[in-house]
Amino acid sequence: MLDVKDAISADDYVDPITADPREFAAKVNAWVPHDIVLKDAWFPLAHSFAVTDKPVRRAIYSQPFFLWREGGTAVAAEFHPADADKPTKSHYSDDAARYPVIEKYGYVWCWFGDPANAAPEHIPSIPYLPEDGGLPLHMLGTVRFDCTAPLSLENLIDLTHADFLHADVVGDEKMDKETVEVFHDSETITMVRTCVNKSVAPIMKIFGGVKVDVQQVRQVIRIYLRSHAAIAYGRFSPGDNVQLFHPCVPETRDRTRLDYAINTTNVKKTNLFRYMMPKASYKVSRQDSYMTSPQSPRYMNPEKRKDLHSPLDEAGQKYRVLMLALAERQAQGDFAYRDNVSADCSQIIGYDGK
Amino acid sequence: MAEAWWAVARSEEVTSAKPINVDIGNQPVVLWRDAQGIVRALEDRCPHRRTPLSLGCVLGNGMIQCGYHGWTYDGATGHLKDIPNLKSDVKFPPVYRAIPFAVSETGGFVRVCLDANAPAPLPAAVTLPLCGTVNVALDHEHYIAALFDDPSAVIGIRGVRFTPYLLAELAEHEGKLVLERSCQWAGLHWPSPFSSDFPITLRISTDPVTGECDLLLRDDGFHPLLSATLAPVPAARGVTQIRWRAKLSDNRPGMRAKLLGAGPPFFVRSNIDGAALRVLKPSASIHAATLRNEIAARTAAASAA
Ligand code: FES
Ligand SMILES: [Fe+2]
Repeated sequence: MLDVKDAISADDYVDPITADPREFAAKVNAWVPHDIVLKDAWFPLAHSFAVTDKPVRRAIYSQPFFLWREGGTAVAAEFHPADADKPTKSHYSDDAARYPVIEKYGYVWCWFGDPANAAPEHIPSIPYLPEDGGLPLHMLGTVRFDCTAPLSLENLIDLTHADFLHADVVGDEKMDKETVEVFHDSETITMVRTCVNKSVAPIMKIFGGVKVDVQQVRQVIRIYLRSHAAIAYGRFSPGDNVQLFHPCVPETRDRTRLDYAINTTNVKKTNLFRYMMPKASYKVSRQDSYMTSPQSPRYMNPEKRKDLHSPLDEAGQKYRVLMLALAERQAQGDFAYRDNVSADCSQIIGYDGK
Repeated sequence: MAEAWWAVARSEEVTSAKPINVDIGNQPVVLWRDAQGIVRALEDRCPHRRTPLSLGCVLGNGMIQCGYHGWTYDGATGHLKDIPNLKSDVKFPPVYRAIPFAVSETGGFVRVCLDANAPAPLPAAVTLPLCGTVNVALDHEHYIAALFDDPSAVIGIRGVRFTPYLLAELAEHEGKLVLERSCQWAGLHWPSPFSSDFPITLRISTDPVTGECDLLLRDDGFHPLLSATLAPVPAARGVTQIRWRAKLSDNRPGMRAKLLGAGPPFFVRSNIDGAALRVLKPSASIHAATLRNEIAARTAAASAA
């Protein structure tokens, strides 16, 4: 079941996105993110530094995960070791009530799904995070959203909102030209937004030492659908590149936890931007929450009225359809990965190691 | 609910500086003033990604701009006029719109009708100068019943005590539900159960659908002392939002009547005493539902004919 190549050759899989446009639109509008619960995925439940000998509690769709270290190795269990009357164990953990765990990129990843299907090749590729972690603490942080995780990700992949909601951090919508390109496979969606002569992000002006008024921008958002984890990679010239890992862990169907990592080791140590950019998450996340929080209850139940879309929403629409396609396949018992999420995606996101 | 005109705001509350959110039952509504000073009302839900339009802003041209992606709507029709990032002059198809509601501003109240084509209500002759807004955690129906059964549960008039005695029980007059209650001046005097006559009365005339009330305090010489309009609107979670306006008459014969002007003469309670409310005997309000149904049936028959 886990053999990726076999699965591809031996099936009648139809890309949900190349299908009939009417069907596509119908799927986009059947979007009830609150109802989507995908299984068989790795979730980055904690920064490595947060897991010590003393258990910490996390959750995926309300399922409890207790994380701690045994002889330095991270472990995850369904019950707190001090919980005397062990309740009945779910089928998400093994006979010892332990979950599959992998430590990579400075995170403790836990498997949500059938433990027998857990495999390291389903951990997403994040080219700009060191595989064995070790980023300084000021580049890591936690923020929470009281909305359903897919709305947080839809928010992220639709970057035009930034020009309005985050104008005071990343600059307004003034620019000469904007293009949005979208790529996908069955497990990922990648959006590339290119802006010509865009107003310089205030944070780069104030802290980044950018003196000019406009800059060339190329922003990439890549979402690993099942893991609800996103890469946000921005190239700014003039200016420094922004290397953000943005995993949206669905703690419940209506609450999202984001343990972010923003790698600014590429920025000169004397440049304030290196220290300020990671802190921008605190402000930016509250701005996003200002919108996604009232949105969330409005996406809990099927809605007769269709959302309206603009050509700039291509990525968000495709994200919806791909998520629904995965959910439908899982409903039919098909949990296989058809595409390899751990293959290095440097080329796809345009990351050159600098 | 759909055809009624609900007084969802006082004129002072609606500006072009910042849109405001109100609701009519479960329907959230955004209100603002456009470049001509006309009040506009749209569904408080951007049809793009369902965020409240009231979190956005009013542009210089009087249109409302959603705070999320900047979609911009014309207040009169709800039509989408601009998606700033598109940088094009394309016209949007007519389905690209937020639902508009009818608005009427008169007498210092902004009234909204959920039916955009509803004929405007009659203009008010005067705008009462005193005003306020209060949110009460009691639903609309019970709020009005409390006003009928014991006004002191929900409002107060300076120096006035409401007695349990009615001069006219709730009855229909020209499409309104009207009752008149005997009142006393506060202070020491012969107890009301043993009083033959009372110096003042409060007349309450209520719209059978919206519950909007005109209150009139008069003395025994039939001099109007205080007029007030109370507009309770059902809001989310069973809350009732009350906007009110009031005016003291200029000529108020008698010492007690003059003292009405010694401070704020009228107030609407924001907290209701649940212990007192629970045991408040339904009396004047008992026939309200029957009267409303009769009026509604008659209106329906008239419009069918
Ligand atoms: S939600 Fe209003 S513009 Fe997108
Ligand atoms: Fe955002």
